[in-house]
Amino acid sequence: MGHVLPFNSDPHRETRELMPWLITGRLEPEERARVEAHLAGCEECSHELATERALAQQVAGLSNATGTSWATMRARLDTAARQHTLPPAPQPFRRRFTLKQIGTVLAAQAALLAAAVTITLRIEAPTAPYHALGSTPAATGNAIAIFRPDARESDISRLLKANDARLVDGPTAAGAYVLCIPEDRRAKVLDRLRDSAVVMVAEPLDTAALK
Amino acid sequence: MSDGGVVHRPTDVPGSAPQPEDVRLFARVCARDMDAFEALYGLYHPRLARFLSNLLHRPSLVEEVLNDTMLVVWERSDTFRGASKLSTWIFAIGYRKAMKALRRLDEPVEDRGMDMRLSEEAAPDAPYGHRRTQEALRAALGRLSPDHRTVVDLTYFHEMGYREIAAIMDCPVDTVKTRMFHARRHLRRLMDGELADWL
Repeated sequence: MGHVLPFNSDPHRETRELMPWLITGRLEPEERARVEAHLAGCEECSHELATERALAQQVAGLSNATGTSWATMRARLDTAARQHTLPPAPQPFRRRFTLKQIGTVLAAQAALLAAAVTITLRIEAPTAPYHALGSTPAATGNAIAIFRPDARESDISRLLKANDARLVDGPTAAGAYVLCIPEDRRAKVLDRLRDSAVVMVAEPLDTAALK
Repeated sequence: MSDGGVVHRPTDVPGSAPQPEDVRLFARVCARDMDAFEALYGLYHPRLARFLSNLLHRPSLVEEVLNDTMLVVWERSDTFRGASKLSTWIFAIGYRKAMKALRRLDEPVEDRGMDMRLSEEAAPDAPYGHRRTQEALRAALGRLSPDHRTVVDLTYFHEMGYREIAAIMDCPVDTVKTRMFHARRHLRRLMDGELADWL
């Protein structure tokens, strides 16, 4: 081991502050070296360490019998889901509209509707030799992925192409995308996706899990 | 659970580090997979229950706060960006929910006057027999402030490093070290005599 950096202030105090994480093995190597170097030459702190170990052992050994309460949790989720799907309570009119105002609104809506119909007819007039995306059989996703928020679309696209994976759905409310990967290569492709810098999570998925 | 209760496990390729179980489940939770959420709930329940029991010291509140925490995990899974470990994120939610619950009860969350008051109070009835060691320690922990209890439990039971604890408690690293230092001092004072028997 190389040179051990000295403590910034009181070595006894700093040693005692770091002792708990020396005991649990959670100190950085440098800190550990520093604390151990001090302990080697300080009888008082070494005695303190022995007492601290006893305390740590007792705290870790405190029993805490608990049963899981999934039934209660599930009931709360159901309640929350019902609350989300309830229609909003009707709001009382804050003011009454005059007949003239209602007429103006209706006229504006009629004008918008007419414009929309015109645009739609113009778009649909020539019979295009293509199929709408919705008319093709829906691709079935067999994996999900969450991309890093700062990932560029071009990087994601390149990654998916290189691995013969396609986006078939998403983003979900949680920002996850459903992918379609050739079944025989799914595990390997998922591993490659996980290794990529733009992917946070890539997991296999059965369609049943999404229903 | 889907597929007859089998949790999906990606095939681990030799040489690549397998993802932790909780991360695998969470990915499916993000896709609104309720079976995965149930499994994640089962995975975290013992640790969260222990953490919250210690922090709250009110058994009646533990389940409510635990479920509040997991409800956030389910409903706000999109807010986890992977900047910390998943467990750190979940424990941080639990910590915030617990502190909120304590504030509702008008519980002092940071007992700054503890140093002086403890020195004036009589130590718990001593000596304790070995059979009562755990009760004595539990009682002593109960006399600490919630923040002090939290650092002790996260350090010694959950074996977390001080950086992770700082992330959970949303405070500077030095604050964690100081809280732990004082918490241990209080515990020793409260457990006077007991510690000598353990050595």
